[in-house]
Amino acid sequence: MHGLSKSFGRVQAVSDLSFTVEPGSVTGFLGPNGAGKTTTLRMLLGLMQPDSGTATFDGAPYTTLTAPLRTVGAVLETAFHPARSGRNHLRVYCRAAGFPLSRADEVLAQVGLADAGNRRAGGYSLGMRQRLALATALLGDPAVLVLDEPANGLDPEGIQWLRGFLRHLAHDLGRTVLVSSHLLSEVEQTVDRVVIVGAGRLVREGSMDQLRSGADGAGTVLVRSPEAARFADLLRADGTGVTSQDGVLTVTGTTPAEVGRRAFAAGIELHELRSRTSGLEAIYFQLTGGSEQFAAPSPVAQEATR
Amino acid sequence: MIRLVRSEWTKLFTTRVWLGLLLGGCVMVGGFAALLTGFAGNAESGLPPVGTPEFEQVALAQATNATVLFLILGIIGMTQEYRHRTATPTFLTVPRRWKVVVAKLIAYSVAAVPFALVMLAVNVLVVTVYAGARGAAPSLTGDNLEVLATSGLALVIYALIGVGIGALLRNQVGAIVGGLVYLFVVEPVIRSIPATSGAYKWMPGGGLEAMTATFQGPDLLGAWEGGLLLVGYGLLAALLGTLLAVRRDVV
Repeated sequence: MHGLSKSFGRVQAVSDLSFTVEPGSVTGFLGPNGAGKTTTLRMLLGLMQPDSGTATFDGAPYTTLTAPLRTVGAVLETAFHPARSGRNHLRVYCRAAGFPLSRADEVLAQVGLADAGNRRAGGYSLGMRQRLALATALLGDPAVLVLDEPANGLDPEGIQWLRGFLRHLAHDLGRTVLVSSHLLSEVEQTVDRVVIVGAGRLVREGSMDQLRSGADGAGTVLVRSPEAARFADLLRADGTGVTSQDGVLTVTGTTPAEVGRRAFAAGIELHELRSRTSGLEAIYFQLTGGSEQFAAPSPVAQEATR
Repeated sequence: MIRLVRSEWTKLFTTRVWLGLLLGGCVMVGGFAALLTGFAGNAESGLPPVGTPEFEQVALAQATNATVLFLILGIIGMTQEYRHRTATPTFLTVPRRWKVVVAKLIAYSVAAVPFALVMLAVNVLVVTVYAGARGAAPSLTGDNLEVLATSGLALVIYALIGVGIGALLRNQVGAIVGGLVYLFVVEPVIRSIPATSGAYKWMPGGGLEAMTATFQGPDLLGAWEGGLLLVGYGLLAALLGTLLAVRRDVV
């Protein structure tokens, strides 16, 4: 994807977004609601015309692919005619793409819907609809899978299954997977790389390990102690940043282990010792903070304005 | 292309819309044919009596009452993609979107042929039995046969027009309501006002009447010209709809 931009009226949904998805890995496409994830994916798949920029698969735009379903499988939304059975829904696309009709049954089995194939899709649960949409994407056994919020509506068991399925596709079968989500925790255990967007702009692109190390590096430690003043002086003595408030110390640029060791060495009693940054989630919020287009004021802020 | 056409047939026959429209059409055509035969020769109705060539040609053209259902068939065939959002997987499968519209035009024109034959069969059956009971069943020869052929053709063409309108308007309810209002309100008004009735022969309804009407009515084109006019309208709507479908974002 290179220099993608798209606006709807006065709203700039995506601006000058560029990133690359590596083959054989699961890439998480993250951002808060309204960050432009769906718009980006729709431009990638030729369903929307970008105002500027290009999106290609191995150098070819989606609309020029000769066998699109064999190259890219996409789950954008759970779209099907409610009166048509799941199996017939799949057969429609088998016919259109020239696959044998037996593919419909194969992918139904692959996503665990074999028993529900003859039922009207309108009667499916949310989780079953997601599975049917995934089955549609798998029809052509594509090298690339693009999934927009595939975990929406799945129960914990379904999410567990989806995680394993995506990892299996990428790591065992060498497929390229791009999966969008607004929840980092949802994909944290699945993805190898992340692309984080906020307000239509690229915020961060890199491996999960890089993101994690960022989370650990910027440590802020919170300490509660009856001897707070003495401990603060002790820490300040060798240049460690400490702020003190009501017997609670906020120590920056260190780790809970280091602070604990210092307190133990000095024989200072501690009542609480914890990391202020709660790992990845905090980094994610930090990165996307303030970039949410439709951010609701936090309860605290609402309280303050009363 | 043949793959896409077969895909459209799979779409059509895996929901029950076609069955409802077919049965509705049978009831409609049978009902109109029976009413017409029942009131034939009645002085107040102004209908020619059973046994005359005028009666037979009007009675055998009653299948054209189902044009509205064929129009709806075409409209639903196209607009269901947008209504149920299956336009997304459809256009993902076929990124060159004009192919989808062309496949639908072909698929629905072909599928409309057996549907139209059923309508004609109902029409002929009702008229033959009822008019036969009232004295003289029409023969299926000469002008009578020509009326049947053009009626059937008109039905098929209306399905084509429906696909075109659907591609143009996308909104299923809007397209159907708009189509009905046009056929049953706008055109009859234009037809009845002397100042505008001259334009009527160039409109879809005028084209239909030119194909099938055998007596009375305003100035009309010839039968084949009327048919070509109708096909032209269908293709024009489809062409505009295709151009828009290719450009518009699918959301």
